[in-house]
Amino acid sequence: MKSVFIVYNQANTERVEYILDALNIRGFTYWENVQGRGTKIGEPRRGTHTWPEMNSAIMTVVPDEKVPELLETVKKLDNRNREVGVKAFVWNIEQMI
Amino acid sequence: MSIYKTAIQKPITTGLIFVAVIVMGLFSLSRLPIDQFPEIDPPYVTIMTTYPGANASEIETNISKILENALNSVDGLKNLFSTSKDNLSIVTLEFEWGVNIDDVMNDIRSYVDLVYDNLPDGVSRPMIIKLNSSAMPIMQLGFTAEESYAGLDKILEDNVVNTLNRIDGIGNISLSGAPDRYVYVDLDPNQLDAYNLSVEVVGNAIAGNNLNLASGTVKMGKEQYQLRVESEYIESSEINNIVVTTTPDGKQVFVRDLATVRDTIKDLSLDERISILEDGQEVLGKEGVRLQISKQTGANTVEICRKVNAEMEKIMKILPPDIKCTVIRDGSIEIKNAIFGLADSIFYALLFVVLVVLVFLGNWRSTLIISLTIPISLIVSFIYLLMADSSLNIVSLASLTIAIGMVVDDAIVVLENITKHIERGSSPREAAIYATNEVWVSVIATTLVIVAVFVPLTMLTGMAGIMFKELGWIVTIVVCTSTATAITLIPMLCSKMLKANKFFVNKEEEKEYLAKQKKKIFSHKNTIGKLFDKIDLWYSKLLRVCLDHKLITMLIALAIFVVSLIPFTNGTIGTDFMQQQDNGNMSIKIELQRGTRIEETLKTARRIECRIHELIPETKVISTSAGSNDESSISALFSGTTNNKINMTVRTSKKYERKRTIFEMAEIIREELKSYPEIINYSVSTSSGGGGGMGNNNVSVEIYGYDFDETNILANELKHKFKELPSARDVTISREEDRAELQIVFDKEKLARHGLSTSQAAMYVRYRVNGMTAGFLKEDGEEYDIVVRLKEEFRNSLTDIEELTIMSPRGEKIKLSELAEISEYWCPPNIERKNRQRYLTVSVTPYNASLGDLAKDVQGVIDQTNIPLGISTRLGGSYETQQDTFKDMVTLALLIMMLVYIVMASQFESFSKPFIIMMSIPFAITGTILALLITGTTLDMMGALGLILLIGIVVKNGIVLVDYINLMRDRGYELKEAIALSGQSRLRPVLMTAFTTILGMVPMAMSTSEGSELWHGMGVVVIGGLTVSTFVTLIVVPVLYAIFSRKGERDDQAKLRKTFVFMDINNADYEYLDKEEENMEVVINQNEEPKND
Repeated sequence: MKSVFIVYNQANTERVEYILDALNIRGFTYWENVQGRGTKIGEPRRGTHTWPEMNSAIMTVVPDEKVPELLETVKKLDNRNREVGVKAFVWNIEQMI
Repeated sequence: MSIYKTAIQKPITTGLIFVAVIVMGLFSLSRLPIDQFPEIDPPYVTIMTTYPGANASEIETNISKILENALNSVDGLKNLFSTSKDNLSIVTLEFEWGVNIDDVMNDIRSYVDLVYDNLPDGVSRPMIIKLNSSAMPIMQLGFTAEESYAGLDKILEDNVVNTLNRIDGIGNISLSGAPDRYVYVDLDPNQLDAYNLSVEVVGNAIAGNNLNLASGTVKMGKEQYQLRVESEYIESSEINNIVVTTTPDGKQVFVRDLATVRDTIKDLSLDERISILEDGQEVLGKEGVRLQISKQTGANTVEICRKVNAEMEKIMKILPPDIKCTVIRDGSIEIKNAIFGLADSIFYALLFVVLVVLVFLGNWRSTLIISLTIPISLIVSFIYLLMADSSLNIVSLASLTIAIGMVVDDAIVVLENITKHIERGSSPREAAIYATNEVWVSVIATTLVIVAVFVPLTMLTGMAGIMFKELGWIVTIVVCTSTATAITLIPMLCSKMLKANKFFVNKEEEKEYLAKQKKKIFSHKNTIGKLFDKIDLWYSKLLRVCLDHKLITMLIALAIFVVSLIPFTNGTIGTDFMQQQDNGNMSIKIELQRGTRIEETLKTARRIECRIHELIPETKVISTSAGSNDESSISALFSGTTNNKINMTVRTSKKYERKRTIFEMAEIIREELKSYPEIINYSVSTSSGGGGGMGNNNVSVEIYGYDFDETNILANELKHKFKELPSARDVTISREEDRAELQIVFDKEKLARHGLSTSQAAMYVRYRVNGMTAGFLKEDGEEYDIVVRLKEEFRNSLTDIEELTIMSPRGEKIKLSELAEISEYWCPPNIERKNRQRYLTVSVTPYNASLGDLAKDVQGVIDQTNIPLGISTRLGGSYETQQDTFKDMVTLALLIMMLVYIVMASQFESFSKPFIIMMSIPFAITGTILALLITGTTLDMMGALGLILLIGIVVKNGIVLVDYINLMRDRGYELKEAIALSGQSRLRPVLMTAFTTILGMVPMAMSTSEGSELWHGMGVVVIGGLTVSTFVTLIVVPVLYAIFSRKGERDDQAKLRKTFVFMDINNADYEYLDKEEENMEVVINQNEEPKND
């Protein structure tokens, strides 16, 4: 099992939810308002007057074979408009109950 | 959950809430009365006291002074006037506008009660009268007749007055100039002497035979009868057959032997003549009756006039066919013209605003969404008006016109941001939520600025307060509603109506789509959009140039401002109180030589009427009144005409139907009246008169001084000097000239010798000349006076009066000349006082000049005149009101600037930024002066209000700009770059909001409808001020920003981090504060260069 952590501009909320549903991923954990900044060019999302936009984050734990498909879809979403921004990170899940 | 999110997620709720608001608003609209001005009681209270037998100066010392002293301490009193004339004292208290008159009335009553005991015996109880705006007639009808003229009074009373009185909301209907029926018994004094009779004997005989009397009951058998004497005259001819006396030789002397009995209309009366013209030809010109209708407080003028007209149509059918009815004045027409004119302005303003939005956005969906905010916001104001018991009047409608340009601003900001998000690929729904989240705070902040400008308006007092209170509330409410709409309905509609960006699955499809888009040559994007892009780029280049030459830019700007002040300081731009309105009515007041008989006055009146027909073919109706009904009645005080005065009301065709303005026509009439030698005073006034003297436009010189002769001489000297002024017209002196009277001085000794007293003798003279009322002739429930007196030819010369026979108690016939001397005598004038000092005014109306210029000229004349010791002068009239109002306005402007500063300072959390933004205000003044100069308009109260509004409107531009520059700097752009980029990005929104406001005002400035003159000045001021200041702001504010900004002032974080040196992180890449700016500049310039190539 792998955990995929997707951080995205709030404007992408509906699309990310669609990705999970369409890929039959049921379980997730969702943070509505998270702040962040891209490593290279990504603008800060701080919810302030200067940087008014905000990110949301979803973490989902999926079987290993699902990961490539999920990442690929996220990549497609990101390619549509790089400015809006979506990122995905993958962890190993060591144990679950 | 935030409000906009809820709104977007519950579109039905949101939509229906707004539908409910609209329905409520429309419902309120249907209930709102239409009126000219907001309902307000004129702040005048009059106290009338009569003291029979006292002359003017006695009245002054014994009544007026005492009352004045007592009333001087009434709270809120502004001015205290009094007029003392024979038998009568009139004290008028003027309060500040907006004072609660009912409270004041109670105060006055108790003060009057306090001093009542100090008044002389025989003084009547002072009458306290509240002047009411509804007392002014809203409609005047003229009636003329041929055969029915003699009975016109009764016909109208029965058929017209009674029917019209049933209409809801009608307060009072009065007839003036109606022929009163009188039965005159004209005695021949020679016959009286021959039969040894006196007027009194005849009078008593006539009165004594005119009687109905219940004389008890008579019981006869089982029945009981009322006993009555029925001897009242049924017809006037019966009087002829009354026996006055029986001669010693047994002959009976009848009234017909001594007198002529005439059952006729009153000899001397108010003469009303109505003349109707069509194409310059008189189609009807007759003596007539004027019917004046006034309404109850709070009643709907327009509705009443409509009902009266409808009712009159029905009534006219049952009246004798020779009676004709003409509308002399219909108050509802003025109101309707003004209101519909403004409604047109609102419509055009709406159209222009929508067009501006369409041009800038190029998208009909966005335009529709934004346009929706306009009606919703405006309709809410109707709910307020209904709740505040107000009406649709020129103030409330003009407020709406002012607001139209501003209500779209918030919606534009929100929509623009949502569009930006959609273009980046968000779905409309998400874009609506997140984009609104980004801007809602700043939207509310800019609204606060507008509120800071308009809320203080509601606190104004005085005359300006009436006009601006409603304006303040309405604009505040409308703008707040528009903000509420902008953060709820607009996002909701955007989420539903805007289309998401085209989504392409592969590159081929995208190419195809883009090619298709390119083919649409005339699409918004390819035409106007490109043009805007070019302008944006050009502007940002210009900004960069200016930023490189800050000093020169600022000097040029300063020079523009200073140069623009020249026309104002050297007096090229005049000041007025209110623009004169051309509503097609003129009122002409003419005064002939004192003591001119009414017949002569009427001749002159007829001649003037004919000349007006020739000179002013635009005339529709002339209504002339002269003379007075009864010299001593209270109504005579108000009617204003006496035997030597003529009042004319001239109604001309509508403003757009004629070439000449009412002012030109008035001038022609003035020139004509100048040539009449018998006219000693005249004025031709074009002011509407409605609204409690708001229409007045004059400078009056108040001359204070105790001595009549000295003040009269000074007043006349000033009058002659003022007449020489080219800018002065209608120079009138308030104090009336001494009136010639014949005084009978009885020799008391001689009277006593004949057993007479002065009062008896005086009574005898009165009976012979004025007449003795010997009962009434009753007919159909009406009573008509029977007046016994000498025939006219025996009482209209000095000799005739001397020859009057007076019967002594012993039966001796004595001629008046034996008992008294008759001398000609000048009756002293009415004594007018203001604030407990005798005064008189010389008032002047400006012609082809502004009020301020005229006041300057007048002051010049006064300075050159030698004013005797003990006499003081000051300038008053509407000039004084204007000065007061302007002073109020300046205070208000300062207050508003403070508030605006506070709002901005808290928004930017900075002391200096608001100053930068407020630098655009001087250029608003520049623009205003320029606009006034070009259009030749004078600065009046409305213009001054426009200037105040500009404070709020103009800084809005600056806020948008500075806010974005701050933002860009916070995002790490170097100062110059941040400014240039912000300029480029914010140019369109700034221009858009400015254009919507400017074009929203255009209809107001251009409208030619009746009553539009009032708002013209304000439109011109706002358009000029905003246009110039917008363009100057776009350069000056960024440059000033650059001048006032210090390095790193925006970077609090860097400042803070400097204190973290203890961590000792050695990283060459991390830029410290001092290096930051230069480094950034280098980096960005490097990026820039290839782009420019």
